[in-house]
Amino acid sequence: MIGHRQQLLILCLCFLSLVTPGVDAFDLNDLKKQFEGSNKAASESLKIIDQLRGKVSTDDEIEIGAKLTSGLLGASPLVADTRLQHYVNDVGYWVAAQSERNELPWRFGVIQSHGINAFAAPGGYIVVTLGLYQLLENEAQLAAVLAHEISHVVRKHHLKALQKTMKRDLWSDLAVEVVEDKQDRKKVQKLINSGLQLYTTGLDRKYEFEADLRAVVLAARAGYDPYAFLDVLTTIDSINPDSSELTVLMNTHPPITDRLEALARKMDGRLDSYARGVDNADRFRRVASSR
Amino acid sequence: MQADQQGIVVRQAKVYADANSASGQVGKVAAGTRVSIFERRGGWQEIFSEERSMIGWVRSYQVRESKGGSQVITAQKEDSRGFLSGLAALSRKASGFFTQDNSATSSGTATIGVRGLSEAEINSAQANFEELEKMKKYTSSGKRMTSFVEAGGLNANAVAHIPGTGK
Repeated sequence: MIGHRQQLLILCLCFLSLVTPGVDAFDLNDLKKQFEGSNKAASESLKIIDQLRGKVSTDDEIEIGAKLTSGLLGASPLVADTRLQHYVNDVGYWVAAQSERNELPWRFGVIQSHGINAFAAPGGYIVVTLGLYQLLENEAQLAAVLAHEISHVVRKHHLKALQKTMKRDLWSDLAVEVVEDKQDRKKVQKLINSGLQLYTTGLDRKYEFEADLRAVVLAARAGYDPYAFLDVLTTIDSINPDSSELTVLMNTHPPITDRLEALARKMDGRLDSYARGVDNADRFRRVASSR
Repeated sequence: MQADQQGIVVRQAKVYADANSASGQVGKVAAGTRVSIFERRGGWQEIFSEERSMIGWVRSYQVRESKGGSQVITAQKEDSRGFLSGLAALSRKASGFFTQDNSATSSGTATIGVRGLSEAEINSAQANFEELEKMKKYTSSGKRMTSFVEAGGLNANAVAHIPGTGK
Protein backbone atom coordinates (compact mmCIF):
# COMPACT_ATOMS: atom_id res chain seq x y z
CA MET A 1 0.00 0.00 0.00
CA ILE A 2 1.24 3.47 -0.83
CA GLY A 3 1.78 5.91 2.04
CA HIS A 4 -0.18 9.16 2.23
CA ARG A 5 2.87 11.33 1.53
CA GLN A 6 3.74 9.30 -1.51
CA GLN A 7 0.16 9.70 -2.72
CA LEU A 8 0.42 13.46 -2.44
CA LEU A 9 3.66 13.40 -4.35
CA ILE A 10 2.02 11.38 -7.10
CA LEU A 11 -0.86 13.83 -7.10
CA CYS A 12 1.51 16.73 -7.58
CA LEU A 13 3.13 14.93 -10.46
CA CYS A 14 -0.26 14.24 -11.93
CA PHE A 15 -1.21 17.89 -11.63
CA LEU A 16 1.97 18.79 -13.49
CA SER A 17 1.03 16.31 -16.17
CA LEU A 18 -2.36 17.99 -16.50
CA VAL A 19 -0.92 21.41 -17.02
CA THR A 20 1.90 20.19 -19.23
CA PRO A 21 1.02 20.29 -22.91
CA GLY A 22 1.21 17.02 -24.77
CA VAL A 23 0.59 14.84 -21.74
CA ASP A 24 -2.94 13.47 -21.55
CA ALA A 25 -4.85 12.46 -18.45
CA PHE A 26 -4.85 8.77 -19.28
CA ASP A 27 -2.39 7.99 -16.49
CA LEU A 28 -4.66 9.76 -14.06
CA ASN A 29 -7.42 7.29 -14.80
CA ASP A 30 -5.11 4.37 -14.09
CA LEU A 31 -4.00 5.96 -10.85
CA LYS A 32 -7.58 6.58 -9.81
CA LYS A 33 -8.44 2.92 -10.39
CA GLN A 34 -5.50 1.86 -8.25
CA PHE A 35 -6.65 4.08 -5.41
CA GLU A 36 -10.24 2.95 -5.50
CA GLY A 37 -11.12 0.63 -2.68
CA SER A 38 -7.75 0.97 -0.90
CA ASN A 39 -8.13 3.18 2.19
CA LYS A 40 -9.57 6.38 3.65
CA ALA A 41 -6.60 8.55 2.82
CA ALA A 42 -6.90 7.36 -0.72
CA SER A 43 -10.52 8.47 -0.92
CA GLU A 44 -9.39 11.97 0.09
CA SER A 45 -6.83 11.83 -2.69
CA LEU A 46 -9.50 10.69 -5.14
CA LYS A 47 -11.45 13.80 -4.27
CA ILE A 48 -8.44 15.95 -5.10
CA ILE A 49 -7.97 14.12 -8.38
CA ASP A 50 -11.58 14.84 -9.29
CA GLN A 51 -11.15 18.51 -8.42
CA LEU A 52 -8.03 18.67 -10.56
CA ARG A 53 -9.99 17.30 -13.47
CA GLY A 54 -12.74 19.85 -12.93
CA LYS A 55 -15.17 17.43 -11.32
CA VAL A 56 -16.95 18.62 -8.22
CA SER A 57 -18.34 16.34 -5.55
CA THR A 58 -22.08 16.55 -4.86
CA ASP A 59 -21.34 17.88 -1.36
CA ASP A 60 -19.21 20.68 -2.79
CA GLU A 61 -21.83 21.40 -5.42
CA ILE A 62 -24.47 21.77 -2.71
CA GLU A 63 -22.17 24.08 -0.69
CA ILE A 64 -21.55 26.27 -3.74
CA GLY A 65 -25.30 26.40 -4.40
CA ALA A 66 -25.99 27.34 -0.77
CA LYS A 67 -23.58 30.28 -1.00
CA LEU A 68 -25.03 31.61 -4.23
CA THR A 69 -28.58 31.20 -2.89
CA SER A 70 -27.71 33.10 0.30
CA GLY A 71 -26.57 35.89 -2.03
CA LEU A 72 -29.85 35.86 -3.95
CA LEU A 73 -31.76 35.86 -0.64
CA GLY A 74 -29.63 38.80 0.44
CA ALA A 75 -30.87 40.69 -2.61
CA SER A 76 -34.47 39.67 -1.95
CA PRO A 77 -35.67 37.70 1.09
CA LEU A 78 -38.32 34.99 1.14
CA VAL A 79 -41.99 35.93 1.13
CA ALA A 80 -43.19 35.53 4.73
CA ASP A 81 -45.87 32.96 3.94
CA THR A 82 -45.35 29.46 5.31
CA ARG A 83 -48.21 27.92 3.35
CA LEU A 84 -46.95 29.33 0.06
CA GLN A 85 -43.36 28.20 0.71
CA HIS A 86 -44.48 24.67 1.63
CA TYR A 87 -46.69 24.48 -1.45
CA VAL A 88 -43.87 25.51 -3.79
CA ASN A 89 -41.59 22.96 -2.12
CA ASP A 90 -44.21 20.23 -2.52
CA VAL A 91 -44.69 20.94 -6.22
CA GLY A 92 -40.94 21.28 -6.78
CA TYR A 93 -40.03 18.14 -4.86
CA TRP A 94 -42.57 16.10 -6.83
CA VAL A 95 -41.24 17.37 -10.16
CA ALA A 96 -37.60 16.92 -9.09
CA ALA A 97 -38.44 13.35 -8.02
CA GLN A 98 -39.07 12.61 -11.71
CA SER A 99 -35.61 13.88 -12.68
CA GLU A 100 -32.30 12.09 -13.06
CA ARG A 101 -31.00 13.69 -9.85
CA ASN A 102 -33.81 12.94 -7.42
CA GLU A 103 -31.31 12.23 -4.63
CA LEU A 104 -30.39 15.92 -4.22
CA PRO A 105 -31.79 17.85 -1.22
CA TRP A 106 -34.11 19.96 -3.42
CA ARG A 107 -35.10 23.30 -1.92
CA PHE A 108 -37.48 25.87 -3.31
CA GLY A 109 -38.54 29.35 -2.31
CA VAL A 110 -40.54 32.38 -3.39
CA ILE A 111 -38.67 35.65 -2.92
CA GLN A 112 -40.19 39.09 -2.45
CA SER A 113 -38.86 40.59 -5.66
CA HIS A 114 -41.45 41.94 -8.08
CA GLY A 115 -39.06 41.32 -10.94
CA ILE A 116 -40.24 38.45 -13.15
CA ASN A 117 -37.64 35.70 -12.94
CA ALA A 118 -36.55 32.40 -11.43
CA PHE A 119 -33.08 31.26 -10.44
CA ALA A 120 -31.39 27.90 -10.01
CA ALA A 121 -28.21 27.29 -8.06
CA PRO A 122 -26.04 24.16 -8.07
CA GLY A 123 -27.03 21.36 -5.72
CA GLY A 124 -30.80 21.86 -6.00
CA TYR A 125 -31.58 25.40 -4.77
CA ILE A 126 -34.32 27.14 -6.71
CA VAL A 127 -36.01 30.48 -6.14
CA VAL A 128 -38.92 32.06 -7.97
CA THR A 129 -39.73 35.76 -7.65
CA LEU A 130 -43.15 36.82 -6.40
CA GLY A 131 -43.43 38.80 -9.63
CA LEU A 132 -43.27 35.60 -11.65
CA TYR A 133 -45.38 33.60 -9.20
CA GLN A 134 -48.21 36.14 -9.49
CA LEU A 135 -48.28 35.70 -13.26
CA LEU A 136 -49.03 32.00 -12.90
CA GLU A 137 -52.55 30.66 -13.16
CA ASN A 138 -52.31 27.11 -11.92
CA GLU A 139 -50.13 24.40 -10.39
CA ALA A 140 -49.13 23.01 -13.79
CA GLN A 141 -47.61 26.37 -14.72
CA LEU A 142 -45.74 26.53 -11.43
CA ALA A 143 -44.50 22.96 -11.96
CA ALA A 144 -43.32 23.90 -15.46
CA VAL A 145 -41.36 26.93 -14.27
CA LEU A 146 -39.73 24.84 -11.53
CA ALA A 147 -39.05 22.06 -14.07
CA HIS A 148 -37.06 24.52 -16.21
CA GLU A 149 -34.91 25.47 -13.20
CA ILE A 150 -34.62 21.84 -12.04
CA SER A 151 -33.31 20.99 -15.51
CA HIS A 152 -30.52 23.56 -15.14
CA VAL A 153 -29.44 21.82 -11.93
CA VAL A 154 -29.77 18.29 -13.33
CA ARG A 155 -27.57 19.23 -16.29
CA LYS A 156 -25.20 21.24 -14.03
CA HIS A 157 -25.46 24.28 -16.31
CA HIS A 158 -24.54 26.84 -13.67
CA LEU A 159 -21.74 24.69 -12.31
CA LYS A 160 -20.21 24.41 -15.78
CA ALA A 161 -20.59 28.14 -16.39
CA LEU A 162 -18.99 29.02 -13.03
CA GLN A 163 -16.06 26.72 -13.75
CA LYS A 164 -15.60 28.46 -17.06
CA THR A 165 -15.90 32.04 -15.87
CA MET A 166 -14.37 32.04 -12.38
CA LYS A 167 -10.67 31.79 -11.76
CA ARG A 168 -9.57 28.36 -10.63
CA ASP A 169 -8.46 29.41 -7.14
CA LEU A 170 -11.62 31.44 -6.49
CA TRP A 171 -13.76 28.63 -7.80
CA SER A 172 -12.43 25.97 -5.45
CA ASP A 173 -12.78 28.33 -2.46
CA LEU A 174 -16.51 28.66 -3.12
CA ALA A 175 -16.94 25.10 -1.93
CA VAL A 176 -15.27 25.78 1.42
CA GLU A 177 -17.68 26.03 4.33
CA VAL A 178 -18.15 29.44 5.89
CA VAL A 179 -16.38 30.03 9.19
CA GLU A 180 -16.97 32.76 11.72
CA ASP A 181 -13.70 34.53 11.04
CA LYS A 182 -14.32 38.11 9.88
CA GLN A 183 -11.59 38.13 7.26
CA ASP A 184 -12.82 34.83 5.85
CA ARG A 185 -16.38 36.12 5.74
CA LYS A 186 -15.24 39.09 3.70
CA LYS A 187 -13.42 36.79 1.34
CA VAL A 188 -16.46 34.53 1.03
CA GLN A 189 -18.68 37.54 0.35
CA LYS A 190 -16.38 38.57 -2.48
CA LEU A 191 -16.55 35.07 -3.91
CA ILE A 192 -20.34 35.03 -3.70
CA ASN A 193 -20.59 38.34 -5.54
CA SER A 194 -18.25 37.04 -8.18
CA GLY A 195 -20.45 33.95 -8.60
CA LEU A 196 -23.69 35.96 -8.57
CA GLN A 197 -22.60 37.82 -11.70
CA LEU A 198 -23.65 34.70 -13.56
CA TYR A 199 -27.27 35.56 -12.80
CA THR A 200 -27.01 38.89 -14.56
CA THR A 201 -24.87 37.80 -17.50
CA GLY A 202 -26.86 34.62 -18.03
CA LEU A 203 -26.10 31.14 -19.26
CA ASP A 204 -25.21 30.09 -22.77
CA ARG A 205 -28.40 30.32 -24.84
CA LYS A 206 -28.17 26.62 -25.76
CA TYR A 207 -28.51 25.74 -22.06
CA GLU A 208 -31.75 27.74 -21.88
CA PHE A 209 -33.24 25.96 -24.88
CA GLU A 210 -32.17 22.62 -23.39
CA ALA A 211 -33.79 23.46 -20.03
CA ASP A 212 -37.01 24.44 -21.85
CA LEU A 213 -37.17 21.13 -23.71
CA ARG A 214 -36.37 19.08 -20.63
CA ALA A 215 -38.91 21.08 -18.57
CA VAL A 216 -41.88 20.02 -20.70
CA VAL A 217 -40.82 16.38 -20.41
CA LEU A 218 -40.40 16.65 -16.63
CA ALA A 219 -43.83 18.27 -16.35
CA ALA A 220 -45.36 15.40 -18.36
CA ARG A 221 -43.55 12.85 -16.19
CA ALA A 222 -45.00 14.52 -13.09
CA GLY A 223 -48.53 14.21 -14.51
CA TYR A 224 -49.01 17.85 -15.49
CA ASP A 225 -50.00 19.32 -18.83
CA PRO A 226 -46.61 20.05 -20.46
CA TYR A 227 -48.15 22.87 -22.51
CA ALA A 228 -48.54 24.83 -19.28
CA PHE A 229 -44.92 25.93 -19.76
CA LEU A 230 -45.79 27.46 -23.13
CA ASP A 231 -48.70 29.23 -21.46
CA VAL A 232 -46.28 30.84 -19.02
CA LEU A 233 -43.98 31.96 -21.82
CA THR A 234 -46.96 33.35 -23.71
CA THR A 235 -48.02 35.33 -20.65
CA ILE A 236 -44.51 36.75 -20.23
CA ASP A 237 -44.46 37.58 -23.93
CA SER A 238 -47.58 39.70 -23.50
CA ILE A 239 -45.78 42.01 -21.06
CA ASN A 240 -43.98 45.06 -22.37
CA PRO A 241 -40.37 43.79 -22.76
CA ASP A 242 -39.06 47.20 -21.71
CA SER A 243 -40.71 47.04 -18.29
CA SER A 244 -38.24 47.04 -15.43
CA GLU A 245 -39.64 43.78 -14.03
CA LEU A 246 -38.37 41.94 -17.10
CA THR A 247 -34.94 43.54 -17.54
CA VAL A 248 -32.84 40.75 -16.04
CA LEU A 249 -34.90 37.92 -17.56
CA MET A 250 -34.72 39.47 -21.04
CA ASN A 251 -30.99 40.15 -20.72
CA THR A 252 -30.22 36.58 -19.72
CA HIS A 253 -32.57 34.50 -21.86
CA PRO A 254 -33.23 34.06 -25.58
CA PRO A 255 -36.25 36.01 -26.93
CA ILE A 256 -39.52 34.43 -25.76
CA THR A 257 -40.79 34.01 -29.32
CA ASP A 258 -37.64 32.01 -30.21
CA ARG A 259 -38.18 29.78 -27.19
CA LEU A 260 -41.84 29.20 -28.03
CA GLU A 261 -40.95 28.44 -31.61
CA ALA A 262 -38.18 25.98 -30.63
CA LEU A 263 -40.46 24.25 -28.12
CA ALA A 264 -43.30 23.80 -30.59
CA ARG A 265 -40.93 22.53 -33.30
CA LYS A 266 -39.00 20.07 -31.11
CA MET A 267 -42.00 18.83 -29.14
CA ASP A 268 -43.59 18.07 -32.51
CA GLY A 269 -46.70 16.60 -30.94
CA ARG A 270 -44.77 13.92 -29.08
CA LEU A 271 -46.15 15.08 -25.72
CA ASP A 272 -49.71 15.61 -26.91
CA SER A 273 -51.01 12.55 -25.10
CA TYR A 274 -49.99 14.20 -21.81
CA ALA A 275 -51.78 17.48 -22.54
CA ARG A 276 -54.74 16.25 -20.52
CA GLY A 277 -52.55 16.21 -17.43
CA VAL A 278 -53.91 17.97 -14.38
CA ASP A 279 -53.47 21.70 -13.76
CA ASN A 280 -54.80 21.75 -10.18
CA ALA A 281 -55.97 25.34 -10.61
CA ASP A 282 -58.23 25.08 -7.56
CA ARG A 283 -55.44 24.03 -5.23
CA PHE A 284 -53.20 26.77 -6.67
CA ARG A 285 -55.92 29.39 -6.11
CA ARG A 286 -56.55 28.26 -2.55
CA VAL A 287 -52.89 28.87 -1.68
CA ALA A 288 -52.87 32.21 -3.52
CA SER A 289 -56.10 33.43 -1.91
CA SER A 290 -54.91 32.57 1.59
CA ARG A 291 -52.27 35.25 1.22
CA MET B 1 -69.33 43.16 -2.60
CA GLN B 2 -66.81 44.75 -0.29
CA ALA B 3 -63.57 46.02 -1.75
CA ASP B 4 -60.82 45.64 0.80
CA GLN B 5 -58.02 47.21 -1.22
CA GLN B 6 -57.33 50.22 -3.32
CA GLY B 7 -55.06 49.74 -6.27
CA ILE B 8 -53.62 51.36 -9.31
CA VAL B 9 -53.29 50.05 -12.86
CA VAL B 10 -49.59 49.98 -13.74
CA ARG B 11 -49.94 49.43 -17.45
CA GLN B 12 -52.85 49.35 -19.84
CA ALA B 13 -54.85 46.25 -19.02
CA LYS B 14 -57.52 44.25 -20.78
CA VAL B 15 -60.43 43.56 -18.47
CA TYR B 16 -62.06 40.15 -18.71
CA ALA B 17 -65.39 38.79 -17.52
CA ASP B 18 -63.73 36.07 -15.46
CA ALA B 19 -60.29 35.03 -14.24
CA ASN B 20 -59.21 33.61 -17.58
CA SER B 21 -58.56 35.17 -20.96
CA ALA B 22 -61.11 32.89 -22.68
CA SER B 23 -63.97 34.44 -20.70
CA GLY B 24 -64.30 37.43 -23.01
CA GLN B 25 -62.99 40.96 -22.81
CA VAL B 26 -65.27 43.54 -21.24
CA GLY B 27 -63.03 46.55 -21.77
CA LYS B 28 -59.69 48.19 -21.06
CA VAL B 29 -58.26 50.31 -18.28
CA ALA B 30 -55.40 52.75 -18.80
CA ALA B 31 -52.19 52.92 -16.79
CA GLY B 32 -52.67 55.15 -13.79
CA THR B 33 -56.37 54.33 -13.33
CA ARG B 34 -57.35 53.98 -9.69
CA VAL B 35 -59.36 50.86 -8.96
CA SER B 36 -60.83 48.88 -6.11
CA ILE B 37 -59.55 45.33 -5.79
CA PHE B 38 -62.03 42.68 -4.71
CA GLU B 39 -60.51 39.29 -5.06
CA ARG B 40 -57.32 37.60 -6.13
CA ARG B 41 -57.45 34.28 -7.94
CA GLY B 42 -54.31 32.67 -9.27
CA GLY B 43 -52.63 35.25 -11.46
CA TRP B 44 -55.77 37.38 -11.68
CA GLN B 45 -57.40 40.15 -9.68
CA GLU B 46 -60.98 41.30 -9.81
CA ILE B 47 -61.17 45.08 -10.04
CA PHE B 48 -63.75 47.84 -10.17
CA SER B 49 -63.06 51.10 -11.92
CA GLU B 50 -65.42 53.85 -10.80
CA GLU B 51 -64.08 56.12 -13.51
CA ARG B 52 -64.95 53.65 -16.26
CA SER B 53 -67.92 52.06 -14.46
CA MET B 54 -66.36 48.73 -15.20
CA ILE B 55 -65.97 45.56 -13.20
CA GLY B 56 -63.92 42.55 -14.26
CA TRP B 57 -60.69 40.63 -14.05
CA VAL B 58 -57.17 41.72 -14.99
CA ARG B 59 -53.77 40.02 -14.73
CA SER B 60 -52.33 40.52 -11.25
CA TYR B 61 -49.17 42.14 -12.55
CA GLN B 62 -51.19 44.88 -14.20
CA VAL B 63 -52.48 46.20 -10.89
CA ARG B 64 -50.68 47.07 -7.70
CA GLU B 65 -52.21 47.50 -4.30
CA SER B 66 -51.59 50.96 -2.94
CA LYS B 67 -52.23 53.23 -0.05
CA GLY B 68 -52.38 56.98 -0.42
CA GLY B 69 -53.36 56.67 -4.05
CA SER B 70 -53.60 60.42 -4.51
CA GLN B 71 -49.85 60.72 -4.10
CA VAL B 72 -49.40 58.24 -6.91
CA ILE B 73 -51.62 60.27 -9.22
CA THR B 74 -49.69 63.43 -8.35
CA ALA B 75 -46.46 61.69 -9.22
CA GLN B 76 -47.86 60.69 -12.57
CA LYS B 77 -48.78 64.26 -13.40
CA GLU B 78 -45.46 65.64 -12.27
CA ASP B 79 -43.36 63.34 -14.34
CA SER B 80 -43.73 63.55 -18.08
CA ARG B 81 -41.30 60.69 -18.74
CA GLY B 82 -43.94 58.14 -17.94
CA PHE B 83 -45.85 56.61 -15.16
CA LEU B 84 -43.28 54.07 -14.01
CA SER B 85 -40.39 56.49 -13.81
CA GLY B 86 -42.69 58.88 -11.98
CA LEU B 87 -43.35 56.29 -9.35
CA ALA B 88 -39.71 55.41 -9.05
CA ALA B 89 -38.85 59.08 -8.57
CA LEU B 90 -41.52 59.42 -5.94
CA SER B 91 -40.26 56.40 -4.10
CA ARG B 92 -36.82 57.92 -3.90
CA LYS B 93 -38.27 61.13 -2.50
CA ALA B 94 -40.55 59.46 0.01
CA SER B 95 -39.03 56.13 0.88
CA GLY B 96 -41.52 55.74 3.71
CA PHE B 97 -44.30 55.43 1.20
CA PHE B 98 -42.79 52.40 -0.42
CA THR B 99 -42.08 50.37 2.65
CA GLN B 100 -39.15 48.01 2.26
CA ASP B 101 -39.99 45.74 5.15
CA ASN B 102 -40.62 42.02 5.22
CA SER B 103 -44.36 42.47 5.07
CA ALA B 104 -44.08 44.09 1.67
CA THR B 105 -46.22 41.41 0.12
CA SER B 106 -49.14 41.96 2.42
CA SER B 107 -51.69 44.65 1.76
CA GLY B 108 -50.96 48.30 1.48
CA THR B 109 -47.61 48.32 -0.22
CA ALA B 110 -46.95 49.56 -3.71
CA THR B 111 -43.73 48.48 -5.30
CA ILE B 112 -43.27 49.15 -8.95
CA GLY B 113 -39.87 48.63 -10.46
CA VAL B 114 -38.43 49.81 -7.19
CA ARG B 115 -37.48 46.37 -6.02
CA GLY B 116 -37.26 44.57 -9.31
CA LEU B 117 -34.13 42.67 -8.27
CA SER B 118 -32.01 44.61 -10.72
CA GLU B 119 -28.60 43.70 -12.04
CA ALA B 120 -26.95 45.99 -9.52
CA GLU B 121 -28.93 44.50 -6.64
CA ILE B 122 -27.90 40.97 -7.54
CA ASN B 123 -24.25 41.81 -8.10
CA SER B 124 -23.88 43.73 -4.85
CA ALA B 125 -26.05 41.45 -2.68
CA GLN B 126 -24.91 40.72 0.85
CA ALA B 127 -25.25 37.03 1.62
CA ASN B 128 -28.16 36.26 3.94
CA PHE B 129 -27.40 32.93 5.61
CA GLU B 130 -30.28 33.22 8.09
CA GLU B 131 -32.74 33.38 5.20
CA LEU B 132 -31.04 30.35 3.65
CA GLU B 133 -31.62 28.35 6.85
CA LYS B 134 -35.26 29.41 6.76
CA MET B 135 -35.53 28.18 3.17
CA LYS B 136 -34.13 24.78 4.18
CA LYS B 137 -36.92 24.37 6.74
CA TYR B 138 -39.57 24.32 4.03
CA THR B 139 -38.01 21.35 2.23
CA SER B 140 -40.52 18.66 1.39
CA SER B 141 -40.09 15.01 2.16
CA GLY B 142 -41.32 11.65 1.00
CA LYS B 143 -43.86 11.72 3.83
CA ARG B 144 -45.46 14.98 2.71
CA MET B 145 -45.46 13.78 -0.87
CA THR B 146 -47.95 10.95 -0.39
CA SER B 147 -50.82 13.23 0.62
CA PHE B 148 -49.77 15.98 -1.80
CA VAL B 149 -49.74 13.61 -4.77
CA GLU B 150 -52.98 11.90 -3.76
CA ALA B 151 -54.89 15.11 -3.10
CA GLY B 152 -53.69 16.53 -6.42
CA GLY B 153 -54.63 13.45 -8.44
CA LEU B 154 -51.08 13.30 -9.80
CA ASN B 155 -49.73 10.29 -11.63
CA ALA B 156 -46.14 9.81 -12.71
CA ASN B 157 -45.54 8.87 -16.35
CA ALA B 158 -42.50 7.34 -18.03
CA VAL B 159 -41.55 9.89 -20.67
CA ALA B 160 -38.27 9.91 -22.59
CA HIS B 161 -36.36 13.16 -23.06
CA ILE B 162 -36.54 14.84 -26.44
CA PRO B 163 -33.53 13.72 -28.51
CA GLY B 164 -30.59 16.11 -28.40
CA THR B 165 -31.33 17.44 -24.91
CA GLY B 166 -28.92 15.25 -22.94
CA LYS B 167 -29.37 12.09 -20.92
